[in-house]
Amino acid sequence: MSDQVLLTTTVGSFGKPEYLQKARNASARGKIGESELNELERKATEEWIRRQERLDIDILVDGEMYRGDMVAYFAERLDGFRIGGLVRSYGNRYYHKPIIASKVGRPKPMTVDWFRYTQSLTDRPVKGMLTGPYTMLDWSYNEAYKTRRDAALALAEVVRQEAEDLQAAGARYIRIDEPAIHARPEEIDIAIEAMGVVTQNLDAKTISHICYGDFAAIYPKVLELPVDQLDLAMANYGYRWLELFNKDPFTKELAIGIVDVHSHETETVATAAEGIRKGLRHVSKERLLPHPDCGLKTRSVEESEEKCRVVVEATKVVRKELAREATPA
Amino acid sequence: MKTTVIGAYPKISDEHQDLRRALHRHDRGELDADGLSGVLDESTRWAIGELDWAGLDVINDGQVRWDDLLAPFARAWTGCDRGPLERFYDNNTYFRQPVITGPITTEGTTLVRDFEFARGVARGQLKAAVCGPLTFATLAEDHHYRSLEDRTLAVADAIAAEIRGLGAAGATLVDVEEPALVAHPEHFALARAAIERLALAGVPLALQTYFFPADPLLDALAAFPVAQVGVDVRSRDTHALERLNALRQTVVLGIVDARNTRVETESELVGLIETALRQLPADYVWLAPTTGLEYLPHDVAVKKLKVLVAAAHAAGGVKA
Repeated sequence: MSDQVLLTTTVGSFGKPEYLQKARNASARGKIGESELNELERKATEEWIRRQERLDIDILVDGEMYRGDMVAYFAERLDGFRIGGLVRSYGNRYYHKPIIASKVGRPKPMTVDWFRYTQSLTDRPVKGMLTGPYTMLDWSYNEAYKTRRDAALALAEVVRQEAEDLQAAGARYIRIDEPAIHARPEEIDIAIEAMGVVTQNLDAKTISHICYGDFAAIYPKVLELPVDQLDLAMANYGYRWLELFNKDPFTKELAIGIVDVHSHETETVATAAEGIRKGLRHVSKERLLPHPDCGLKTRSVEESEEKCRVVVEATKVVRKELAREATPA
Repeated sequence: MKTTVIGAYPKISDEHQDLRRALHRHDRGELDADGLSGVLDESTRWAIGELDWAGLDVINDGQVRWDDLLAPFARAWTGCDRGPLERFYDNNTYFRQPVITGPITTEGTTLVRDFEFARGVARGQLKAAVCGPLTFATLAEDHHYRSLEDRTLAVADAIAAEIRGLGAAGATLVDVEEPALVAHPEHFALARAAIERLALAGVPLALQTYFFPADPLLDALAAFPVAQVGVDVRSRDTHALERLNALRQTVVLGIVDARNTRVETESELVGLIETALRQLPADYVWLAPTTGLEYLPHDVAVKKLKVLVAAAHAAGGVKA
C-alpha cells in the first residue's frame, strides 16, 4: 500500500460493463444459465480490480458485479424473506422490495466466496461489503416481527455471522452500510444496538457508509455507532455536514466523499482536492480517506473510472502539500 | 361512512408495465412527448378503472402523472426549478427537491386538464389533490424568500390558485396532502394560516396527514377550516384512534397500512371502525388507507382495497 496518509478507497459498487448488463438481463429472462453469468461476473470483477490497481487506489472493492440491489441481494439468500412485487423508487426506477415473512436465518455464507476470489486477484486489501441490519429492515416490509427492534436484532445476528466469516476469510476491512440510519432519527438507538451485535467480535477495521438523508438529525449520536470509520457523502451536500463537527468534534475515521456520483460530469481535481482540505480541518490525515460520495453503480464503467481517477489525483495533490509542510525549510 | 383513497396508486405492476416501457422508450428518444402523454392517459384510465372496480365511494385519478407529490407544481410554477433527488420522509422513495429561485406565480390551471380527463373516465365521485403548502415549503430549497413563513404563505397562495382552478373545473373536494404538519407539529400555526388561504378558494378541503402520529395536534386540527381531516391510525405508535372526538370535521380514518404488505383481516379493521364509531357519527367517518398506495406492490394494494371495502360493508356503514 502507498506510504501512508489519506488512503484512497471507494464505497463499493462500480458501473457494470455492457456485456455483463446484457448477460444479467438474459439471465433474468432465463436465456443463459447461472454458471455462464457467474463467469462473466468474475471476468468483470477482475477487470475492476485491474482498473483500481492502475488508478492506484489503496483499499479496493469487488465492485459488486454480482449484485443488483443492496438489500435484495441478501434477502434472496436469507431464510425468512420473500421478494415482493415491484415498488417505485423514483420516476421510472422500480425495485422488488423484500418482505420479512418469517424468522430470518442464514443458511450459508453469502459474500465470502466473492471476497476470497477478489482478494486472490490482488495484493492490496479488499473490503468485505455488507448491508447493515437497520437498513435491511427499513428497506423491507416487516410482516414477521412484532417490533422493528426485534426485526433489526434478528437481522443483526445473520449479518454478524456473515461479517465474522468474512473476517475468518482474511478480510481486514469490513463495511456494514447503513444508508437508512437517518430514516427515523428517533430509532437510532436500535441501529446502534444492532450494529453492536454485528461488530462485537470483529478485529477487522469496521466501516459504515451513510448517505442521502438528514445526517444532522443523527449527529453527534451517530458517533456511538460501534464501527471504526464512517463513510459519508459530502460533495453532494456541499460539505455542509463538516460544520456539525465544529460543535461536536468527529471522533472516528472519516471516509470523505469528494466527488458527486449522481452526475455525468466529474469535479475537477482542484475542486476535489479542496474537499480533502476541508476534511483535514476536522480529521487528521491518518484518519481521513478520500473516496467518491457513494457507490458508482448508476454510472458507466468510463464515468466510474473517471471519478476514481479524480479522487486519486486530488489525493496526490494534497499529499504533496502535506509532505512539503512536513519538510523543514 | 364512505370509502376513499389518498395519494398515488401503484402505476405499474409485474403484469402491467406499459407505462414503464413507454418511459424507457421516451428516455431513449424512441417515443415523443405526445406518444408518452397518450400512454399516461391510458395508465390513468387503468388506475381509475381499478379504483372504481374496488368499490370505493370516492376516488382520485391515481396521480399517475405525478413523479412525486411536489413535482406537478415545481414543474409548472414560475420561480421554481427542480433540484436533486432527496429521500421522501422515512421512505426508500425519492422526490426531486424544488428550488425556489424567485417569486412563485401560477395561472392556477396546473391540474385542470388532468382533472377533466379523469372526470370523463371515473364512474363514481372523483376528488382532486394538491401538495400541502407546509410540505412544499419545508422540502424546497429556497433562494428567494427570507423565512419559512414567507415561503409557506407564498406557496399557499399558489396552491390556492390551483384549487380555484380545480373548483372552476368542477372539483367538489380537494385533498391537501400535508405530511409536514405531523412531521413538524411545531409549525402548526403557520400551517393553519396557510390552510386558511387555501380555504378562501371556496372548495371543500380534506387535510390529509400521514407518516407520523397526529396525536399532539388533534385539538389544534379541530380549528382548521377544512371539511375533512385525514388521520393515520396505523403506521406508528399512536393513540389518535381513541381521541377522534377531539376533531370537529369528518375524519378520514387511515386504517389500512399502506406501508406494510401484511394484509389486514376484515375483523381487525371492523374493530378499528367500531372504535371510531363509538366517538363519531357514521356520517363523519370515511375509511381509507393510511397514505398513498404507491408504497406497496400493486397486488398487495389491490388486496388492501378489497379488505377495506369489505370491512366498511361489514361494519354496516356502506351499502353492499
